[in-house]
Amino acid sequence: MAVRNRGSVARRGSAGGVVLILAALSACGGGQDEDDRTASAACEPASGKVTLDYWSWVPGMQKAVDLWNSQNPDVQVKLKSTPAGNVGTYQNLSNALKAAKAPDLSQIEYDSLASFRLKGGLKDIAQCAGIPDAAPKFADWTWSQVDFGAGGKDGVWAVPQDTGPMALYYRKDVFDKLGLAAPTTWEEYEAAARKIQAAKKGQYITHFSQTDPNWFTGLLWQNKAPMFEREGDRWKVTVDRPESRKVADYWQKLIDDKLVATDLQGFSPALYKAWNDGEVVTWISAAWGYSTIRDNAKSTSGKWAVAPMPQWEKGGQQAGNWGGSTTAVLTGSKYPAEAAKFALWLNTDAKALEILNREGGLYPAARTGADLPALKQPVDFYGKQKIFDVFAEASQNVDTDFTWGPTMTDTYRFLSDGTAKATGGGSTLAEVLKATASQSVESLRKQSLDVTD
Amino acid sequence: MTTTRTPATTPRRRTLAPFAFLAPFLIPFVLFTLVPVGYAFWQSLHRTERTGGTFGRTETVFAGFEQYADVVSEPFFVDSLVRVALFGLVQIPVMLALALALALLLDSAVARLKRFFRLVYFVPYGIPGVVAALMWAFLYDPQLSPVVGLLRSAHLDVDLLGPGAVLFSIGNVVTWTYTGYNMLIMYAALQAVPADLSEAARVDGAGAWTIALRIKVPVIRPALVLTGVFSLIGTFQLFTEPQVFRAISTSVTSTYTPNLAAYSLASSDRYSEAAALSVLLAVATFALSFLFLRFTARRQG
Repeated sequence: MAVRNRGSVARRGSAGGVVLILAALSACGGGQDEDDRTASAACEPASGKVTLDYWSWVPGMQKAVDLWNSQNPDVQVKLKSTPAGNVGTYQNLSNALKAAKAPDLSQIEYDSLASFRLKGGLKDIAQCAGIPDAAPKFADWTWSQVDFGAGGKDGVWAVPQDTGPMALYYRKDVFDKLGLAAPTTWEEYEAAARKIQAAKKGQYITHFSQTDPNWFTGLLWQNKAPMFEREGDRWKVTVDRPESRKVADYWQKLIDDKLVATDLQGFSPALYKAWNDGEVVTWISAAWGYSTIRDNAKSTSGKWAVAPMPQWEKGGQQAGNWGGSTTAVLTGSKYPAEAAKFALWLNTDAKALEILNREGGLYPAARTGADLPALKQPVDFYGKQKIFDVFAEASQNVDTDFTWGPTMTDTYRFLSDGTAKATGGGSTLAEVLKATASQSVESLRKQSLDVTD
Repeated sequence: MTTTRTPATTPRRRTLAPFAFLAPFLIPFVLFTLVPVGYAFWQSLHRTERTGGTFGRTETVFAGFEQYADVVSEPFFVDSLVRVALFGLVQIPVMLALALALALLLDSAVARLKRFFRLVYFVPYGIPGVVAALMWAFLYDPQLSPVVGLLRSAHLDVDLLGPGAVLFSIGNVVTWTYTGYNMLIMYAALQAVPADLSEAARVDGAGAWTIALRIKVPVIRPALVLTGVFSLIGTFQLFTEPQVFRAISTSVTSTYTPNLAAYSLASSDRYSEAAALSVLLAVATFALSFLFLRFTARRQG
């Protein structure tokens, strides 16, 4: 009886349970990070056979890893396919770091590099073979993300993998039927939204997800509204600013007029069904999103097309960026030299880039990536459109000065919790920005960081 | 000689033997309950200090009850507590009433196929919580659910995952999962009700209803109190269902319940606050359970 009762409490998730996990995970924290934090540690190759653990959520990554493993019998990589970063992997990774059980390498998006560096989770690979010469191989803005804009004086903390230049995915057949062209401005996008909704009950131009705060950030990025500024060792929170309020007010209007589906969570089976059923007909998303639609809305093959992101100014050419990842070597890896070598190979080798693009739809951060034959090809799913031309152009138009804060997990959380209230009608996105700004200041202070007003 | 020797050894054996028998419980209890709780408490009293700029060294310093003040002053603290309290006020009575009704039915003289139904009612408890929540999530989802589809085709526009309904939807999952479990505790207690009590009542002219409500229910009162306490604890520690629902409902925030909030804080690197919240939650749960027991004991006395 007693055993069974205890079981019942535990199954509903107990405070004891949380406490226990916390304790188990943080038991090995503390002093351990101190050693690894000493920057620019030497990066000597190991002798003998090495096995590297690697976490990633890129579809088809296993094939690239297999290729490496077949070419490097002495450095075998063991891949673990994980859920997307903010869906759980970052939490697991933080916990694993606390417990000193982290893998050697992990996929980490640009927006989370600072926070992982802050918690001492990243290894400085500046001294590792190949890294000092790697900078010119990558798009400028991506390299300035991994060296924190210090041009190498502040270490190198990851290898850029892909970028997420944003564009508009839309159901060309639906737009054609309604006599609509791909909207070039946000004004036209709103007009299209009204027409699409009037055409069929329950049909929406897009969904407004609550769990994709980084999507919303991409929209802010397009309007040059970075959320953080770093001035030396001080941080400034700029979440609530005229540029971001403009974006928020626009989407608030679409939500108020019920022109966007607010009950569909991003990347959910329900959203995929709505795509298949033609109930949601556009998605403003990154280059990597092409495989998301392709793999989850199979019945709509050939009906989608890609156009540049709608603009705030007529004739403008701004693009946002959503996600994009790096391959980071984590604190505690015993083989940083081998890990860095693999990371560099994975993100510069022509064959590897080809696999990652074909299987995962990644848009490479490496300069040579743009020349991949696959990125010149028409894509069947998108009505034989050469969609990567659109993304290549978008990539040129991404504002390269965007700075991420070191507490993005919190900032995203505030945004997404606020969005739940906004889509539920209890608040507005403008209020959400305001609240997110003050909460973000608070969470920077909680990490005992300097914040200016 | 023998008489003096015996008393000398027996007390020592008497003091050691219980611990030997208790060891299988005590060792894991200390390792996996007391030590972590102690560590969480220690952690809740400390915070991180940073020297040498943004990415400089970190130091753990004593901060007293600062984290507690921080957590309590967060708006989500009261919100989430009120939410689970309301949840408990509705869900616990419904679930326990249902469990009691089922237990009494199974125990009644007219019940057939007792073994079968006992098993059927208990089956949901055997399904892992995450699986159950996922399954229900699909049944609630307007895009995927045949039930919601059917209702909508009958022009009943229901949004089971909307801000107004999602708490009830979660309550339904919890009720579905735990009714059978509570029923089993009550049913087991009913088995221990002496048959002569019911017989005597029947001789005195009591009907089935009267026997159930006036004889059986008062006798199994301890079992009812027990299930009440467990449900109360479970409610305040609600976690799995809202966490799973976050993936499909746009209405569940990262601080929906106190436990979820502690989890979110921990995963935002705010371990000290998460620890403080966990300790507060543990204390609150303990205090509530204690009050509940006192309250029911007094009424019993």
